Amino acid sequence: MSGLGRAVAAEAAKLRTLPAAPLTVLGTAILAGAIAGALAAQEPPIPAADAVAGAVPLAQAGAILLGVLPVTQEYAGRQLRTSLVAVPSRGAVIAAKTAVAAAASLLAGALATAAALGAAWGAGIATGDGAPDPLAGGGRVLGAALYLALMGLLAHAVALLLRGPVPALTSTLALVLLVSPVLAGLGAFARWLPDRAAAALYLPDAGPGDWLGPAPGALVALAWIVALTALGAWRFCRSEPVP
Amino acid sequence: MRGLRPLAAELHKTLTLPSTWVALAVTILGTAAITVLNANYARSAIASGDVWDRGLLSPFETGYSGMPLGTVGAVVLGVVAIGSEYTAASTDAGGGRQITTTLAAMPGRTGVLLAKTAVVVLLVALSAAVAIPLSTGIAAVMLGDAAVPTPGFGEAAARSAGAALYWALTAVMAIAITALARTVMIPLVVLIANSSVVSVSILLSRVTPLAFWLPDAAGQRLFGDLSMMEGALDAGPGGLVMAAWAALLLGIAAVVFARRDA
Repeated sequence: MSGLGRAVAAEAAKLRTLPAAPLTVLGTAILAGAIAGALAAQEPPIPAADAVAGAVPLAQAGAILLGVLPVTQEYAGRQLRTSLVAVPSRGAVIAAKTAVAAAASLLAGALATAAALGAAWGAGIATGDGAPDPLAGGGRVLGAALYLALMGLLAHAVALLLRGPVPALTSTLALVLLVSPVLAGLGAFARWLPDRAAAALYLPDAGPGDWLGPAPGALVALAWIVALTALGAWRFCRSEPVP
Repeated sequence: MRGLRPLAAELHKTLTLPSTWVALAVTILGTAAITVLNANYARSAIASGDVWDRGLLSPFETGYSGMPLGTVGAVVLGVVAIGSEYTAASTDAGGGRQITTTLAAMPGRTGVLLAKTAVVVLLVALSAAVAIPLSTGIAAVMLGDAAVPTPGFGEAAARSAGAALYWALTAVMAIAITALARTVMIPLVVLIANSSVVSVSILLSRVTPLAFWLPDAAGQRLFGDLSMMEGALDAGPGGLVMAAWAALLLGIAAVVFARRDA
């Protein structure tokens, strides 16, 4: 296995054996399923894709928590020094961490969306609306999973930049859950914010105007993530490995 | 003086935490920044006359709309005030936790928790006393003569006090939940997510009206009569319900904190 491959395997092992990581993935899926199920069980019935979309704003808190874990766990105690002794190339550490954060975020997003979709279908059948069209809104459901993964990666980038769990969690959550909804009321510029750009992936009315559209939105969010990750990588490579 | 010593100790510890100053900055500068953006928007909206509710463009409302951000500051203050006690120091420094030192110095555990609560509530009240007048002042200056008349002083004062009370009660619940969880991550995520428009309580309220009795939803009307909270409790009863939740959680935390190994 190449050096980078081993670094990725090491990062994956560190994240997998952190109790908080699998619990967060599981908790996010349960939360998404519960919300989507409750939304789909209401009268009048709503399409399953809308129920999934309704679960995303809260489920993203779980994705963000998962996103900050790979970096912030290193700063609790002296693990980072051990990591850098084992893998002296900081670029390789960051590349491996980012790859693992991306994989974990995609997994969490896919599981949460699948749980939400399953719960919405189950609730739809239980309330007697008949078997739903399984393919209706499939693109938006896929978009919801991608959106959650992007928010996880955004949190990872912020954590790389801010290092501590409290600043990383607080700033990402406050941006996504509070600041961006407030700014959205103030004009069209808010659609360029990372979360609102990416939200075009799963929202029904993602046309021109307030939203960028799915593909451009995802690209804008990705550009934010790349820029923040680059800044974070610059800080990580230049600073001492202590909190 | 003896009774004040735990307060002085907790105040000193809290004020020397960097996160405390970040939380205060979020509350004061964050709400001010949102007010500046908001006032810019309000000015152009007044000039173009393209508004659905002119009442929302008064300097008070323009400054007040950033207040949800203060809840985040209060959550961070409450969570780090007690969560920092449980964070392990670097292994080079022995890997100890501050809580053992704190309890060696002040064996009365209920007193420790109450002193922390008092300090956090004091800081939240101070941040509200700065942030709300600052934001509404910025809005008044920026809107100038174009401004739509502000609600009367009584209503403005009541809603400002309501916001400060909501922040303080949220901070008390943050202390209680963090004392029970003994970690900062989970309380931060749960409380910040729940202080936003996607709060679990608001989602649940679409399923059952009982959700309006949950702590964060019960206090929503402390911010004023918000149209999005159709069916929520009134400010007075809602504030009491929220205060009862905060007292209950703090009571549970005090019992557990006193009886459990630190």
